Amino acid sequence: MFSLLQIEWLKIKKYPAFWAMLIIVLLTYPAANLMFYNVYLDITTQKGTDMLAKMLLGNPFAFPETWHTVAYISSFFVILPSILVIMLVTNEYQYKTQRQNVIDGWTRRQFMTSKLMDVLIVSSITTILYTLVAIGFSIYASTFDASKIWDQSYYIGLFFLQTFAQLSIAFLLGYLIKKAFIALGIFLFYYLIVENIATGYLKIKATKIGGDIGRYLPFEISDRMIVAPAFIGRFGKDIKTAYEKSLSEVPSQIALSLFLTTAIWAFCFFMHRKKDL
Amino acid sequence: MHPILTITGVSKNYGKLTALDGVSFEVPAGAVFGILGPNGSGKTTLLSIILDVLHADTGRFSWFGNSPQTNNRKQIGSLLETPNFYHYLSAVDNLKITQAISGRGNSADIDTVLEIVKLTERKKSKFSSYSLGMKQRLAIGAALLGNPDVLVFDEPTNGLDPVGIAEIRDLIQSLAAAGKTIIMASHLLDEVEKVCTHVAILKKGTLLTAGPVDEVLAQEDIVEIAASNNDALHTIVETMGGFSKVKKHANCLQLFYPVGTAQLDNINKYCFEKGITLQQLQLKKKSLETKFFELTND
Repeated sequence: MFSLLQIEWLKIKKYPAFWAMLIIVLLTYPAANLMFYNVYLDITTQKGTDMLAKMLLGNPFAFPETWHTVAYISSFFVILPSILVIMLVTNEYQYKTQRQNVIDGWTRRQFMTSKLMDVLIVSSITTILYTLVAIGFSIYASTFDASKIWDQSYYIGLFFLQTFAQLSIAFLLGYLIKKAFIALGIFLFYYLIVENIATGYLKIKATKIGGDIGRYLPFEISDRMIVAPAFIGRFGKDIKTAYEKSLSEVPSQIALSLFLTTAIWAFCFFMHRKKDL
Repeated sequence: MHPILTITGVSKNYGKLTALDGVSFEVPAGAVFGILGPNGSGKTTLLSIILDVLHADTGRFSWFGNSPQTNNRKQIGSLLETPNFYHYLSAVDNLKITQAISGRGNSADIDTVLEIVKLTERKKSKFSSYSLGMKQRLAIGAALLGNPDVLVFDEPTNGLDPVGIAEIRDLIQSLAAAGKTIIMASHLLDEVEKVCTHVAILKKGTLLTAGPVDEVLAQEDIVEIAASNNDALHTIVETMGGFSKVKKHANCLQLFYPVGTAQLDNINKYCFEKGITLQQLQLKKKSLETKFFELTND
């Protein structure tokens, strides 16, 4: 297993797109969170409403809420590591190295395990960046309180699972489509447009259908593991009810995410064993 | 001694197209085994199956007397169809991956094989900046990594210039002299004839013949004869008999005899008694090219 990891590192460490993605994520996560933080500052410093806003919102960037807030904001940018994951798998087709690795001695299972490791590596790096941004923001935006640091740190696990689940979908697309730009196009179109429209539509039709089945859509399954931060649920009675419902659904969304992700990888391992390379 | 490779009844279909139809043969240790056939005859499909890139529909193969195992492939240096490397990595970095996957060789060996394939000067350049010939050389270098006892080459001289072709031919000959077993698919019959000890000929997925080059080629003796008037000579030899067929060939006639039955002195005597003095009388071994066209032409 360790040797597979070493070989994947040989492939990745001099891949320019990997470092480019890392830099972009490094810039994007703090920048996006900073933007939200500035909005928060605007609301809480307006004369007359500042005290009320502070009371309602709390400080979403202070420990322990920072884990949740930063996870929620950062999760919108999973698209960046997804591009890298799609490139990493389609490269193997473009260069025909998925054949060469087997010719040189890997089993098909070892090849797929190495790709699983790629996705785990990218998910881990993304999670580490999220963790650093969450800690950094809390130190920057609030009075540091060491006793509360780990209170909601389970969001690190949720963020990792969400990232891994969504990157696995990106991997599946790259694996099946093989062509980088077509896979990227379909991924972006589905992720940004199709699923958002479908989610919105299913939400409207929820009462008629007898439930919000939008939560079973591939990205929504894991998106709903990290619900919008707590302060959003503090406005209005209906929204508060919906927010509490979302929270209650988190355990089942976690189970669904684990199931879908396992199914994706089981399918990829099965396909790779059976098909001609 | 076990054969290095045994192929038994291997078939492969792509939809309605039969790419391989019950192909069976053995590759003995130390052989330079040429697999010949026109485009689309199934050469690369066959090599892909024995390297586990494609699944055979029926039949089986075994390396070193074992069933297909990963460790078998690790002992074989292979170049299949095209040079497959990571475009953004240098020759050295690509070979590090080959080395790590196969377990063949060490970092000193990387420099050695790059020297053999004459890529030392460009060893740090990205693969994407290489010419077709350089890419092919790198693929051959990767196959040589760790000095494996068995090598599989699919069209090894593809993309090489005449000097490169000659160098690879010499390389293959020196590898054969060192006792390596080499399985090589090629269109270049002249090259194969120069280096191969054994040959298999495929056509539309069917194995036409396989065995030692001498046996495959020596099914007929060819006697080439010529006189000042080849038309008159043709008429005379028609009456002589003993051969299976006669064919006009350039400035001579070719008489085809079953192996070992051509007697040059009798032919000379017969023609002379019929008033024709031969200017040329020669027993020729059939060239691989002749045999190939004979077998593969409809």
